[in-house]
Amino acid sequence: MNLSTSSFNEKGIKNMDTSITTDEQASSAQTLAHAEDRQVFIKITLAIVLGMMVAMGLVRLFLDANGANKQGILGRVLQAQAAVPKIIAEPNDLVMFYGSSMTRAGFSPRKFDRDLQKMGKDISSFNFGFGGLNPYYQDLLSRRIAEQFIEKDRKLKLALIEFNPFQTTSTRWNRAKFSLDSFITMLSNDAELWQILQEDLSRGIHLFNIKYIRNHVSAEMVTSYYSREIFPPERGQRFKDDKETIAARRSLGKELGELFEKEYPDYDGSDWYYPWQGAGTIPQERSAETLAIFDDYYAATQTDAQMKNDRLSRIRSADIEELHFEPFLVESFIGIVKNFQRFSDKVEVVMLPKNSRYIHYTPEAKMRLAQAIKQIEQATGIKINNHQDIKEVNADMYRDTTHLSRYRGDIAYTDFLLSEYAKVL
Amino acid sequence: MIFNTPIFFWFFCIFILFYGFAFLKQPPKIYLLLVSSLVFYGAWNYSFIPLLVGSGIADYFIAQAIFNSSGQRNKKRWLILSLVINLGILATFKYADFAIESVADLLSVLGYQASFTTLSWVLPVGISFYTFQSMSYTIDVYRGDMKPRKGLVEFVAALSFFPQLVAGPILRAKHILPQMHAISMPKWLEAKHGFLLITVGLIKKTGADILAIPADKAFAAQESLSTLEMWTGVLAFAGQIYGDFSGYTDMAIGLAILLGFNIPLNFRVPYFAKSPVDFWRRWHISLSSWLKDYLYISLGGNRNNNRTRNVFLTMLLGGLWHGAAWTFVAWGAFHGAIITLTHYLANLKIFDRFNNSNTLVVSFFKWAITFYLILIGWVFFRATDINSAITIIGNLHTFGSASELGANAWTIFILTSVWVLLMHVMDYFVIKSADKLENKNGQFWLLIILGQALCLLIGEPSNEFIYFQF
Repeated sequence: MNLSTSSFNEKGIKNMDTSITTDEQASSAQTLAHAEDRQVFIKITLAIVLGMMVAMGLVRLFLDANGANKQGILGRVLQAQAAVPKIIAEPNDLVMFYGSSMTRAGFSPRKFDRDLQKMGKDISSFNFGFGGLNPYYQDLLSRRIAEQFIEKDRKLKLALIEFNPFQTTSTRWNRAKFSLDSFITMLSNDAELWQILQEDLSRGIHLFNIKYIRNHVSAEMVTSYYSREIFPPERGQRFKDDKETIAARRSLGKELGELFEKEYPDYDGSDWYYPWQGAGTIPQERSAETLAIFDDYYAATQTDAQMKNDRLSRIRSADIEELHFEPFLVESFIGIVKNFQRFSDKVEVVMLPKNSRYIHYTPEAKMRLAQAIKQIEQATGIKINNHQDIKEVNADMYRDTTHLSRYRGDIAYTDFLLSEYAKVL
Repeated sequence: MIFNTPIFFWFFCIFILFYGFAFLKQPPKIYLLLVSSLVFYGAWNYSFIPLLVGSGIADYFIAQAIFNSSGQRNKKRWLILSLVINLGILATFKYADFAIESVADLLSVLGYQASFTTLSWVLPVGISFYTFQSMSYTIDVYRGDMKPRKGLVEFVAALSFFPQLVAGPILRAKHILPQMHAISMPKWLEAKHGFLLITVGLIKKTGADILAIPADKAFAAQESLSTLEMWTGVLAFAGQIYGDFSGYTDMAIGLAILLGFNIPLNFRVPYFAKSPVDFWRRWHISLSSWLKDYLYISLGGNRNNNRTRNVFLTMLLGGLWHGAAWTFVAWGAFHGAIITLTHYLANLKIFDRFNNSNTLVVSFFKWAITFYLILIGWVFFRATDINSAITIIGNLHTFGSASELGANAWTIFILTSVWVLLMHVMDYFVIKSADKLENKNGQFWLLIILGQALCLLIGEPSNEFIYFQF
């Protein structure tokens, strides 16, 4: 609008009038255009925000409906975490065995406690063994446990920590990456996530998103969960059992399942079950018939072919015989020990029995293992107790090449632990 | 910052609030676009912003100088300066190490043991895209195809326009600069098309990440898989790269539409091509047309009986554009060879009936041969080295004596094939009849939300977009 050109002659006035009219029209057209633009952008913004909210809500609904964060290792970790306040409130002195699935299979806290009670010692011990939880995740979890114990000014009488060599390899680490984000969000506190955000904004936002919007379940966990059926991780079994053995395995397994349901009607399905102190059932609770079936079942499952296949699988998935350690995981393990030292009267680091009939370390692996042990011992000031070849556990006491079998291996090893550590309790 | 990440979502939400509500006039909008684009780029690595801005500023002024210069010779000098700057940046950051290592390898073959120090520099994301985009501007001005535009900020904002900055499509200055000069706001129906493209792109990218599983498996373990699993792996890679790249460009086009920009299509159902020439009219259209306009024609095009040489050189350099490795050169050479062969066969009288026939059987045959050749080409593209590529191609043609089938091999093959087909069906639908869906509000938003939810559920930015590395 050019008012400075106004003049008093007719033409001028006319011109000015025209100019004002045109400018007003232009201005009003522009305002109208801006208003229309704004309307479109309101719609666009609403579509983005509402659309994402609804989509995210559907995702959350789906994950919650499927109990995605309660399944398998995720569920066991959450349930164990939830049990910590109750454990802290236990009146007895506390023992915690912290480690991998080998700990989970190999330590029977209820047997441990019963036998100690016979010695006049009232102890409550717990199995904190988690399959699929490498030392990095274990380090994060142990921080959370430590925080709760320290806050309540409570201490463990004895902390047994498993050092599992094949959980600490690079192969193992690479194969766990699909679960990385879920576990980080589940096991880290906000301050730790905030620190990640400050170092890497994109990753930090991603993790907060998984924690608070996706209920700890990353898309990779979902993809991995559903694709496992379609994309089996390994090629089929190389060594094969005869048909009778396979059939026996199936029918005995089914029978044991049915017996379990009959004998434990109150079991709520939890992976980490408080009444069992985080471990499994014990032979004293089972009928003679069930125990006899277990003998047959083990005969059908612990075949040479099964063991050889399992060995190959462990080599592929965990580098169990070469043991190329991931330095980051070794450091994480040191972190675990230090965390437990903060709230335990005594910390012992142990290496669980190894099925030496099938698993043989190469000379280089032995050297690497010795180096890793030295590093841990130097950093923590604790000598690692190597139980890998103890005579109390023999090769028939394993359900596969790494895990001790129920009612056999776990009992033998728990007895061994009792003989070793009862004196400090 | 990757499109399918939470950080991009928040970035875009904040950006759209400013863009749509606060910065309503043209100049502030341009500044907002420029700053946001630089933030977007800087989220990956701030230290390369000067390179991006610097090459833009240089080409902006060089284009003015070309236009203002008298005489063809002076104009040419300025153009050469632009080419030296752009290709120099590419050569330094992308090809220097490749050249050094290749010279060392060559000397070693000749019996001389030479040890050279490589630069080992980080490759700036999107460098191949924005240098080509910038170069096309000075070439167009030199050729007289367009006049230089006034407005440095506009030019740099166009060059760094964040929806297409890191992985294309490669925009032509004459296409994007007028839009940048007068930003027109989208209509609601256009915006809906943008949302549709973003969702389709996201679905494709999500599918591509899943296809990476069988593809990686096949290319990692060349000898221990059965023939079927090898073919599945190669097919999966074909689907992966298509879903990944076209998914990204779909999202880029969709985002640009929401901002009022029109970016041309970069893919047109490429695996439905019925000849290698046809394939390049459908695949990465912005690159193939760039190569045709600025390289093939500059080399002489179809003139002087040098068509074969020119096609071959264009494809060879096109291959090299994708990456500094002999596998990419081999991929380019392979496509050069099959295009040349197609031209040769097309001129043979004996094939007249075949070439001119459009019957279903003949069309299927043409498609099958073309798709087979494209798949073989992808082996060169994906393999770690030429020897591996040759081994894989050998394994693909070993029937009978291969390893036993892995678990679910047929299921995976069928799922892979279905997904590759489905991506094309989605594309075809978007091209042909998206408007019908966009006019049905209920169905449209239901599909958009379900699509987004599906991608949120399983789509993880674990795999970066493949074309970022180029």
